[in-house]
Amino acid sequence: MSDERSLLRDPRLIVARRDIVSLKREKTIVLALLIQLFVAAFSSFLVVGLTSLYSPGSVAAGEIVVGVSGEHQDALVDAAEDIESVQPVRFDDVGEARQSYRDGQLHALVIAADANGRIGAEVVVPDGGIQTTLVVDRVRDLLEAVERTERIARDSHLTRSTIPLPAEVDASPYFGFTYTILVPLLLFLPPFISGSVAVDALTEEIERETLELLRVAPLSLLDIVDGKALGMILIAPVQAGMWIGLLSLNGIDVANTVPLLVLVTALTTAVVVLGLTLGLLTGRRRQAQLLYSVLVIVGFGVLLFLPEHPATTVAKLAVDSATRLTYLHVGGYAIGAVAAYLLARRLVARADAEAL
Amino acid sequence: MSAGPSGLADSGDPDGRLGWVRERVWNSVRIARWEVTKNAGGVDRRTVVIAVGAVLALGVIIPLAMSQGVALDSDIYRIGVAEEDPYYDVVSSDSTFRVQEPSPAAVEAGNQDVLVVGAQVREITDGPKGRAAAAELRSTTNRYNDRLMLAEDNQTAAFPVLVNLTYREQNQTRVIITGEQSSDSGPDADGGGTDGGGSDGGGGGGADSGGDGADGAGGTDGADDADGPTDPSETGGSVSSDSDDGGIGGSGFAARLTGGGVDGTPSDITPPFPFRSLVLAFVFVLPLNFVIQAYGSTILSERINRRGELLLVAPVSRGDIIVGKTLPYFLGAVGVMALIAAALGGSPVSVLAVTPLALLFLSATFLGAMFARSFKELTFVTVTITVSLTSYAFIPAIFTDVTPIALISPLTLVVRDFQGQAIGLGEFAFSVAPPVLTALVMFGLGAGLYREEDMFTQRPIPLKVLDALAGRIKRKRSVALLSAVLLPFVFVAELVVIALLFALGEISILLVLIAVAIIEEIAKSLHIYAGYAHARFDRRLRTALVLGFLSGLGFFVAEKFTQIAQLADLPNLEIGQAALNTGLLPTQFVSTPVLILGLFLAPLALHSVTAALSAIGASRGRWGYVVGLSAAIALHTAYNLTVVMALVG
Repeated sequence: MSDERSLLRDPRLIVARRDIVSLKREKTIVLALLIQLFVAAFSSFLVVGLTSLYSPGSVAAGEIVVGVSGEHQDALVDAAEDIESVQPVRFDDVGEARQSYRDGQLHALVIAADANGRIGAEVVVPDGGIQTTLVVDRVRDLLEAVERTERIARDSHLTRSTIPLPAEVDASPYFGFTYTILVPLLLFLPPFISGSVAVDALTEEIERETLELLRVAPLSLLDIVDGKALGMILIAPVQAGMWIGLLSLNGIDVANTVPLLVLVTALTTAVVVLGLTLGLLTGRRRQAQLLYSVLVIVGFGVLLFLPEHPATTVAKLAVDSATRLTYLHVGGYAIGAVAAYLLARRLVARADAEAL
Repeated sequence: MSAGPSGLADSGDPDGRLGWVRERVWNSVRIARWEVTKNAGGVDRRTVVIAVGAVLALGVIIPLAMSQGVALDSDIYRIGVAEEDPYYDVVSSDSTFRVQEPSPAAVEAGNQDVLVVGAQVREITDGPKGRAAAAELRSTTNRYNDRLMLAEDNQTAAFPVLVNLTYREQNQTRVIITGEQSSDSGPDADGGGTDGGGSDGGGGGGADSGGDGADGAGGTDGADDADGPTDPSETGGSVSSDSDDGGIGGSGFAARLTGGGVDGTPSDITPPFPFRSLVLAFVFVLPLNFVIQAYGSTILSERINRRGELLLVAPVSRGDIIVGKTLPYFLGAVGVMALIAAALGGSPVSVLAVTPLALLFLSATFLGAMFARSFKELTFVTVTITVSLTSYAFIPAIFTDVTPIALISPLTLVVRDFQGQAIGLGEFAFSVAPPVLTALVMFGLGAGLYREEDMFTQRPIPLKVLDALAGRIKRKRSVALLSAVLLPFVFVAELVVIALLFALGEISILLVLIAVAIIEEIAKSLHIYAGYAHARFDRRLRTALVLGFLSGLGFFVAEKFTQIAQLADLPNLEIGQAALNTGLLPTQFVSTPVLILGLFLAPLALHSVTAALSAIGASRGRWGYVVGLSAAIALHTAYNLTVVMALVG
């Protein structure tokens, strides 16, 4: 049978092409690309913009001037010697220090007074600049250094000893956020949309009663579902690939592209199968879409019980820390997706096309 | 004598109006009920049962999974550390790390990010990952040490430094953001709280845009909630006493969402966290997505197979249909958000603040469903709406503690509400009015398409946009009205542009000025073009000039009414001034009557002239419009630049 049809005239391919062409004609693909660009701009704004605003490296010229006053000012000044980005300025008179702060000559003011055997540090930082985060961060470093020194000085009162702190490294504070939240989010968006569009592709034919027309052509219901699934499954990895490209343009290198795309394809297959099955079972877009969204989210929650959540799998692959467990998961998703697809095909084959 | 008739007339008029209102309400409610119970696109009971069951299951699953300790960032960094080294416990206490046998060869090959030998970090791989891993190791060590110290008996020696953080503006004596400290319990008699912060707090907090989240701190929990298992039992000490006066309404979760620490040991101090609004945005916006999906379906399904025709020919008005069909979804959305706000410990202010968001989502979906030609297209439109509106809500709210511009997003009000700050009426109006007005305009434009010609045909989207605008043009005067009505769009668009660009520094002012010119010129001329495209006007030059003047006049008058921006002292910001004040009267220059007249008339002249340019272009067809519009934008930018130079320089 399949020999009689040339490959390109396979009805399933025709259906798939028809769906993709309709996406193109409706310019929805353009819309999808716009969304991608928008989110990419958004992420670059977040990652590049905020990082450069907050990270010490980019404020290279900006050494932070901290006014230091109070009885324990020596401890602060000593601690500040080890912290490059903080420049202490002594004030013997607290009122003078406050005045200097008000005049805008200081980034922050620390008044270290004695408080029942402790150092009570009153910290005053400005508000109204995005710098605030940076300033607070630096001042905290300073005070933590003071804390460490003081702990050592009071060693005799302590039964445990602390572990020496590794040297400070100039690292992007949003590195973890980028790989554990942003990248998974961006890679899971295309599968989710694909599944949703698969629901539409089927329920629309049913609601507009054009499924009949399709079936007048020499197509079985199975062919139609196959074709629709194929079209939607193919789109997601392409989108995901574009994401990865955009991210690397933004300076975020994503490792293990091939396993990531396999993972995305497997997840897409699973959600597209879910969408088409729901579309077939309910025959109504609203029901199917609602159930689809809810079930996908529940499925995402259920996957938390796996040794590795898909988001973690993506993060580990993307950041190049993949373990054997990670690859096992990818393989597992691929097998699961194929199994789900075969199962859904059997369901479709038994479904009564006339009843739709 | 005249009491009788006038009394009759008086009661007659309101009664007539009352009757009209009653009929509208009655019709809307009937359609709403019909929408809920037996609409063609409605959700049957089986679906509802499954969906509710699934959501309940999710409510069980998530906490269960969380209790087993899920960390999405587990095993991200690979650390080589031997079991006898002091760092071994540190590294294994944090699930972010994967412990490996220390191996310089593995570091060389890029299979190990940090190599620890003895009590020091020996090697770090090149690149951002190695540095991030080392930085993470440093902060994990810090947390580990703090936990170690918590178990000490002598807490004074374990935590020898106590910090008290106050935000205070410079160059001014008044306090903008106050750290109102309830003075620390027990051992430390720190004077900081009673100083500036406490006393000035009462005066500054209410009236001003400030008043910070000192109360919402919940100080201690931020740092070490990721690694529960090894936590020693939290006993006494200064740390736990701090957290007592921290949380508002006893809701630790909300405090963790919104608060930055201002009180406690040095590691308790947290800088303003830029992503907390992301969490809030998701919590509030996620349910909206379900609502708009169902809503979009029901609107679009009216348009499929001419189903909506029955309602259209029924003796109800278009407005009744739209209100009736929207009402259930609106109430549902607000109800869900009220539940969320209550669960997080927010006040009714939060619910009021997110209501415009619900309206905005629904109106955008309504317009999208009127534009879309198929369900597939609607899905993409819905995703676009979700993404763009979520970021509109989210990006500005990042800067809640930083700048008043953040107020353009209603979520900022929510964040502030969770922080327990007072919100002024002006601020509330400034934050809420633009989205509400925008939503109303979108409903209005969509209603213009709610007619047979547009509902049941497959016209390309750009043509439908023109249809929607042209549907509102009856005569030349309508042009002025439309210009005025489109102003909220302009306002929101400009504020979003500011939010996106203001982080760029100096150059952002120039970019904003250009963007503002583009937005305003399009808003003033697109409907004129639509009118020409639908042959509502003749193509004489005089007509074009009149239309341009009317459009400019409408825009100018409406702009005068939007000085609400000044209530929220947005113009204090240089960039806000640049964007919004170009059309307003700069008060510094009020010296001679002539000057006043000139400056007052200048914006009107500008808007009229540029709109006339576009209108002349529009009367010559599509390319003419492009040329005219470009000229108008160029002129407008030049004007803006001149005004800003005069103002700033």
